[in-house]
Amino acid sequence: MKKQTIISMLMGLFVVATQAQEIDYETYELTNGLDVILHQDNSAPVVTVGVMYHVGGKDGKKDRSGFAHFFEHLLFEGTENIERGEWFNIVSANGGTNNANTSQDRTYYYETFPSNALELGLWMESERMLHPVINQIGVDTQNEVVKEEKRTNYDNRPYGNWAIMVNKNLFDKHPYKNPNIGYMEDLDAATLDEFKAFFDKYYGPNNATLVVAGDINMGKTIKMIKDYFGPIPRGQEVKRDKIQEDIIENKIEVTAYDSNIQIPLKVFAYRTPSMKDRDAYVLDMISQVLSGGKTSRLYKRMVDDDKIALQVLAFNRSLEDYGTYIVGALPLGDNSLEKLAAVMDEEIEKIKTELISEKEYEKLQNTFENRFVNSNSSVQGIASSLATYHTLYGDVSLINNEIEIYRSITREEILEVAKKYLQDNKRLEMDYLPENDK
Amino acid sequence: MTNKKMNIMKIKYNYALLLCFITTSLIAQIDRSQMPKPGPPPEINLGVPDTFEMDNGLEVMVVEDHKLPRVAVRLIIDNKPHAEKIHGTASLTSALMGTGTKNMSKDKYNEEIEFLGATVNLGSEFAYASSLKKYFPRIFELMADGALNPVFTQEEFEAEKTKLIEGLKADAKSVSAVANRVSSVLAYSKNHPYGQYTTEESVEKITLDDVKNYYRNFFVPGNAYMAFIGDIDKNEAKKLVENYFRDWKDETAPEFTLPKPKKAQYRQINFVNMPNAVQSEIIAQNTVDLQMSDEDYFPLLIANQILGGSSLGTYLNMNLREDKGYTYGSYSRIGADRYASRFRAVASVRNEVTDSSVVEVLKEIKRIRTEPVDAQKLEDTKKKFAGNFVLRLEQPSTVANYALNIRTENLPEDFYKTYLQKINAVTQEDVQRVAAKYFDIDHLQIVVAGKGSEVVENLEKVEFEGKPVPVLYYDKYGNKTDKPEFNKPLPEGVSVQTVFDDYIKAIGGKEKVEAIDNAIMKGKMNAMGQSIDVEMVSTQDDEFFMQMSMPGMTIMKTVFDGESGYSEQQGQRKDMTPEEVEQTKLTSGVFPELKDTSAFELVAIESTEQGDAYVIQSSEKKKTFYSVETGLKIKDVEVMEQMGRTMESTTKYMDYKPVNGVLFPHTVIQSAGPQNFEIKMDKIMLNQDIPADKFQ
Repeated sequence: MKKQTIISMLMGLFVVATQAQEIDYETYELTNGLDVILHQDNSAPVVTVGVMYHVGGKDGKKDRSGFAHFFEHLLFEGTENIERGEWFNIVSANGGTNNANTSQDRTYYYETFPSNALELGLWMESERMLHPVINQIGVDTQNEVVKEEKRTNYDNRPYGNWAIMVNKNLFDKHPYKNPNIGYMEDLDAATLDEFKAFFDKYYGPNNATLVVAGDINMGKTIKMIKDYFGPIPRGQEVKRDKIQEDIIENKIEVTAYDSNIQIPLKVFAYRTPSMKDRDAYVLDMISQVLSGGKTSRLYKRMVDDDKIALQVLAFNRSLEDYGTYIVGALPLGDNSLEKLAAVMDEEIEKIKTELISEKEYEKLQNTFENRFVNSNSSVQGIASSLATYHTLYGDVSLINNEIEIYRSITREEILEVAKKYLQDNKRLEMDYLPENDK
Repeated sequence: MTNKKMNIMKIKYNYALLLCFITTSLIAQIDRSQMPKPGPPPEINLGVPDTFEMDNGLEVMVVEDHKLPRVAVRLIIDNKPHAEKIHGTASLTSALMGTGTKNMSKDKYNEEIEFLGATVNLGSEFAYASSLKKYFPRIFELMADGALNPVFTQEEFEAEKTKLIEGLKADAKSVSAVANRVSSVLAYSKNHPYGQYTTEESVEKITLDDVKNYYRNFFVPGNAYMAFIGDIDKNEAKKLVENYFRDWKDETAPEFTLPKPKKAQYRQINFVNMPNAVQSEIIAQNTVDLQMSDEDYFPLLIANQILGGSSLGTYLNMNLREDKGYTYGSYSRIGADRYASRFRAVASVRNEVTDSSVVEVLKEIKRIRTEPVDAQKLEDTKKKFAGNFVLRLEQPSTVANYALNIRTENLPEDFYKTYLQKINAVTQEDVQRVAAKYFDIDHLQIVVAGKGSEVVENLEKVEFEGKPVPVLYYDKYGNKTDKPEFNKPLPEGVSVQTVFDDYIKAIGGKEKVEAIDNAIMKGKMNAMGQSIDVEMVSTQDDEFFMQMSMPGMTIMKTVFDGESGYSEQQGQRKDMTPEEVEQTKLTSGVFPELKDTSAFELVAIESTEQGDAYVIQSSEKKKTFYSVETGLKIKDVEVMEQMGRTMESTTKYMDYKPVNGVLFPHTVIQSAGPQNFEIKMDKIMLNQDIPADKFQ
């Protein structure tokens, strides 16, 4: 009983803390379907302008993987009013920084500027949405650049391909089975017309969210947004059908090789629900219990006490349609992958059969609160979170309320969700080995 | 009356319409062909931290930021760089800090920190802690305890040592890690702390006493600074420091003289062979004598930014990435360290364009040295620095970093206040002058780590301004070596015949091998979670049969009767083309090595994962590799066309075991792209009666 009181007192503290850092925002829609989110914070003279398009690696035709990521490159090539190669120079000459990133579900382009260049940022993003130049020179150049990116980030990097091998084997029908960067033969085979058609299909204002965050004046910003984005014509309606996977009936066993490594890796991977599903939040907590920090269960046992692992990992990678939950370890010395697997299984079994302790539960709550406080510490980060919550979760208020979901998860729920998803006949087991072992 | 009224109304109405029209046309009037000009620059408020000093020499600064309920603290000990007695001692000391204190066991310590959702990191010359404000006093106390009262036990020492060694292994094949190590060794030499690196052998030699001594010598307050950032004020911080750091004994770390780095005598390529590389790492470098307080510092920041700073619009990126597509990114860096620094231009490029990339990097360095930078480009670059300066102000840690730099780098107090002024004063002549002085194109060491068998031949042909750039060879630790043998000329007397003879000898000798008329090999492989049966039959009359099947169904099958053949996949039959028949005739048979050698060609010695190998070609498209050391066949590599793109398919032979006194590979791995199929042979039978229709 007493403990309960202490917890609720602590909870009282949490609420106060939360209110102190509430992120204010406004949302509205332009007549062409563009969703707009504004967040004003005048404490530093910095502003971020970002556009999130609801298109990612999973979208597009069969045999044409990697298009959204390819567009992450292509849409920096220039527009009718921005010459080829000038994009980066303009951003840099105005003291800004810019970048873009692509996931399986969405693509995000953004610039961060000193706040006197807000209009410039709006102009650039509206140029990109209205009339980017998509031509053969750009396609050919970026095709080479993407291949180099693949070599740098995957093929020449130790452990660069393991996640790709997991998705390839865990998904059968859903395009999540393809690497986000795509298969190079798909990109090589794609024609200019196919790229243009892809742009027309997915990059209209009605499939995008504009976010402006930082040192702004609301009235002026709303007017500028109307000026620059208002005239962009609405695009095609984007239909999204979720491709259903069949349930995994039998354990999938895979061996893969990497010429850049000497220490093998053992991985269990489970297919889990969409990031929007409450269970996905519970799985985040489970991964924290298993491998978050030095006193987490797997780390403590395998790395610290038994000294059989060099490193352990457990994480829940949630996406819009499905997630993957991954548990893995690298052996220390001569310990076999079988031995690692047996211990991982014991710990997984434990979390499926016994409630986590009250102390572990409180630790989880502290960890997630700390994460929450730190998640909104820059306007660039806030802009990206606002856009993501809106585009993928359909609920901007999560930027302030997501912590409530974590707080409401109980120990019993953790047990139930572990039982539901961490079944050994429904998982992928992968041995990721050094090429030499062949 | 009525009429008039109506008129007025009409006028009013029109006027309203007109107004409306004006407003809309104003909206429509933005001219998007013109880039919007930025407004007046925002005002810059560069805060100054509160500071105080402890009697033991520790200097403390506090940067208040009450936006979020969190506090972070950083302790750095600014010792002069020093050679470790044994390399790896500092890493090991860092790893052992936090594994227990005089007051708490490691488990209790870690549990409490993680229970509070906080972070504490400790190292041999630093400490860091961050947490929610409400837990900060306790977290600070824990950090202080870990930093000042560590216990180093033999058990934890052994555990961390093993982990450190395994970590080194994990990086052993990383091309970029090797390139970085070798470049440091070559720039600073192994006698300088910056050129030293840790190896498995050095870590083995470290003792627990070495760690204890290291901590005692270097974790001292003489050159220590502590910065608080966040939801805290000076009084709160002072109370914490006085409570927990007052007893830190006033000492200063021992100092050593550092050797002065030397420049290379001439421009050169320093090559490190990495047979697993699919990209070459290029680091073109020279050491420089530069400090932040030098007047060349600001012109150099600008010159480096234009050449290859953090933007895609630089000379290097616009050439190597945007124009040529050689790389995902090429960058340059200029160091301004009190003790030793270097200039570096780097790129990761695909194997085929390694030599061209070296030349393009040199061209861009030459360009910034010899051509005045475009006036607009210079203006734009200055604006970039101004903007980035503003953007950094968003993070309160910036104020702390600046204050720290002023102290540690011996900068004037107004260094950051006048930062933008000094940036703005840089001229075109300044840029060219410092580029010519510091980007020392005549003494560049161009470190290249890559796959020798594919890149060295062309690298050796690299010329710049009509002069060859000599290639020198190094091992993975920066030791000079002879040229490795990836392209080594074939030794006298070696021919296809001797390679084949050696192979036959290696597997059991001519007599035994010739006694074999046919072989049946049965095995299994796993694909997509299914077990697949594999059967291969070959005869010395060039007949060949291969089939992959699952219970009840044939997945694929290839048959050759010595003169013609076909393959069948999921019921689809495809006859061999005349070209394929010729190829199959050459390479079929139980031992193609017994055939007449005239159709084969010995093309090279290449280094492979399994050591050097003779490469024998049976056609443009197929190569077979035989180990120089053992004589055994290592692999076949075949070039295939698929969807208009050529790709390599590799068949590796391993796990040789005797069957009737002749060695056969018992594991065969087929790979194409990232796909691997491993066939384990569980039955190999020789000289069986084979039904005549097997090959039909």
